[in-house]
Amino acid sequence: MAVFVDLNIRQTSDKNLLRKTIEIAAHLGYSTIAVNYVIEFQDKKQNFIKPIPVNDLFNSLPIVQGKSKPIRVLNRLTVVVSDAVQCIELRATSPHIRLYDIVAVLPKTEKLFHTACMTLDVDIICITVTEKQPFHFRRPPVSGAIERGIFFEIIYSHATKDSTMRRYTISNSLSLMQICKGKNVVLSSGAEKPLELRGPYDIANLGLLFGLSEGDAKAAVSTNCRAVILHGETRKTAMGVVYTMKKNQTLLDKEEDEVTHPLSKRMKT
Amino acid sequence: MACHERMEDDSGKYERIVHKNGSSYHYLKISLEFEEDTSIRLNSAQFKQLIISSLKQLFGEIGAALPFDVLQFEENTLSAVLRVYNRDLVKVWSALTLLGSYQSEMCAFRVQQVSPFLLALCGNSRT
Amino acid sequence: MYMHLEQCPRHLLVCEKSNFTNEKSRHGIHVQSHYFNYQVNMLIPECAVLPSELNALVNSFEKYYLVKNVPVYELVEQQFIDRFVKKGSVYALSYNTQIDQDNTVALLPTGTLILSVDKDTYEELGLEGKSSQYSHKAVMRYVITVDLKSLVPGTAKNKRVMWALKEKLLVKCDFLIMWNSPGDEDFSLSTHFEKYQCKEHAPAVSTKVLRDLPYPVIQSCDLRGNPEKSCDASEFMEWLGAVTSEIECNNEASNFLSTFCCPEPSSVMEKAYLCTVTGFLLPENICKLLEQLCHYFDEPKFAQWTSLTVHGFADSPVSWGSAEHGFHKGGENFYNFVVFKNRDYWLQMAVGSHDGCPP
Repeated sequence: MAVFVDLNIRQTSDKNLLRKTIEIAAHLGYSTIAVNYVIEFQDKKQNFIKPIPVNDLFNSLPIVQGKSKPIRVLNRLTVVVSDAVQCIELRATSPHIRLYDIVAVLPKTEKLFHTACMTLDVDIICITVTEKQPFHFRRPPVSGAIERGIFFEIIYSHATKDSTMRRYTISNSLSLMQICKGKNVVLSSGAEKPLELRGPYDIANLGLLFGLSEGDAKAAVSTNCRAVILHGETRKTAMGVVYTMKKNQTLLDKEEDEVTHPLSKRMKT
Repeated sequence: MACHERMEDDSGKYERIVHKNGSSYHYLKISLEFEEDTSIRLNSAQFKQLIISSLKQLFGEIGAALPFDVLQFEENTLSAVLRVYNRDLVKVWSALTLLGSYQSEMCAFRVQQVSPFLLALCGNSRT
Repeated sequence: MYMHLEQCPRHLLVCEKSNFTNEKSRHGIHVQSHYFNYQVNMLIPECAVLPSELNALVNSFEKYYLVKNVPVYELVEQQFIDRFVKKGSVYALSYNTQIDQDNTVALLPTGTLILSVDKDTYEELGLEGKSSQYSHKAVMRYVITVDLKSLVPGTAKNKRVMWALKEKLLVKCDFLIMWNSPGDEDFSLSTHFEKYQCKEHAPAVSTKVLRDLPYPVIQSCDLRGNPEKSCDASEFMEWLGAVTSEIECNNEASNFLSTFCCPEPSSVMEKAYLCTVTGFLLPENICKLLEQLCHYFDEPKFAQWTSLTVHGFADSPVSWGSAEHGFHKGGENFYNFVVFKNRDYWLQMAVGSHDGCPP
């Protein structure tokens, strides 16, 4: 098994709260987390947000419980799509996408789910947990996504808040498991507050309730998340621009690098 | 389930029994967390009642009826040791995980250790 | 669909009974081959003051070192092997590494170096190893074993191991380390590792006297108990767990909170001495303690038995000998001796789901 990862800690404008949540994630034994920036295109002109650099949040990153290493913080973008036009923003060449380590999509319709599984260049497809599953999961797109190395995400924090949401979370994930057979699933918190987080072993156990086997459930908070992160890295490099970074270059240098070379220059290819 | 071998040596005293899943119980070392500024206090009975209600929320009347013991409870830290039957482990654990509030204040159960051996709870090198 | 909700991870408990004077008794081997010990608990019934011999042993557990951020190749360096591994026995275990997630390294007193590493590290190192027995569908962990004593300097194999750990991928860990040397030696671990942050630690000892303790009646000859006469070994073990965690065990069946009670038949001991040693504990020290516990009964005592529990490290890559150990929902690997007045003993060895059957 690989280290424990929570791929979804909700970004909030309250930096203190975000910091606190990440600290608790480290305390619970997560070695890596991703701060999740969500965009919905409901309001006409929803702009992309630039992720907050990690060193804006922490001078020194919190140490993971029981280890000597600090937590690793990634940035993730989730785009909620209810219209095919919005998928254009998810092109790999989009300058915004490049700022994120992981890209996820929450498709609202069966057609968009199909598109996401078969063609979109994303790492994660989110499963709705806040309402009744609006469409059937069908085998071809689900298998297609698995073949392309894309993972399905189930968020558990809603299930701790309200019994209706709990029912949706469990029943939607059970329907997914019927089709994907426990393959390519990641479980993440979607937490905005420290008390919405649960420990990795708790989630590995909770996975059984979502229809996963013992092994698949533990993989859903470790090995599978590692695969998502790797998928994100290859997506970044495979988009036409060769992505190089000196081995001992610090994150800070990288940030400056991005400022000095205008993004448009990179986009041309 | 136990297999048994007897070595008929001179002393005739050696005996070995292997129990596979011999323990009927699992033990959980847990604690309950609230927001830092909470004024909530729980006594041991309220604590157990909270766990029963979390079981009821998730598994209904059958869940509320699952027998389990609070072997130890520390009021100041809201930490406890539970004993549950093996067949109920997944249910009790997931009910604890999904509990999100008490008296409309947010809370979370933290599970420090789970073991089929009570004796293992005192010698955990991970804590 | 929910069939598996009734299941729980597998666990094993081995109960043995024998006599210390029995030539074939393997008690010493079991203690010696359980290399990495985190905690020892000793319970002596009807005792409030520890006899001086036992007290001396409890306080004479060897000191150990915690060395920070050591590259693993340091353990393969010829100088280290010549100075320490070949003279006496070295116990080293990576500290603050979790066996189900991180690279974990252990040096056994036999001179075997074990690297339990994740897939990425394994592929980068390019050293030969075996896939972990406790992998899920895809193999994510590999175990590399290097016998340091048979490593000849200058050979291709030696060079390759050195190159992999030094040039290819610099694997670094914090280590708990201890050296059990046969006599006065010219070198010490602290001077050898002086360029790293190296700190000496003494095992922590805590003691307690418990009063009016209900206890289960046991008979050395009857491991499986007898409804009327005595309790079985696993009932005893649960009770012992309750005592060491200071759990109340005289509840009524009607009690709302807990119905846990001392197994029957039972009796009450007026007092009992409970002593705990925590640290990085040498099997040699535990052997001595066990031996002294047998001598406890040289003089007449009220107690019928004493017990000694030894907990292994949850994140050690081995449990007994070189048997692979893992962590699933827990990483328990421990044993307990019940030493009886007549030199009979019970030995209980327990492991969780990611372990083979104890020896």
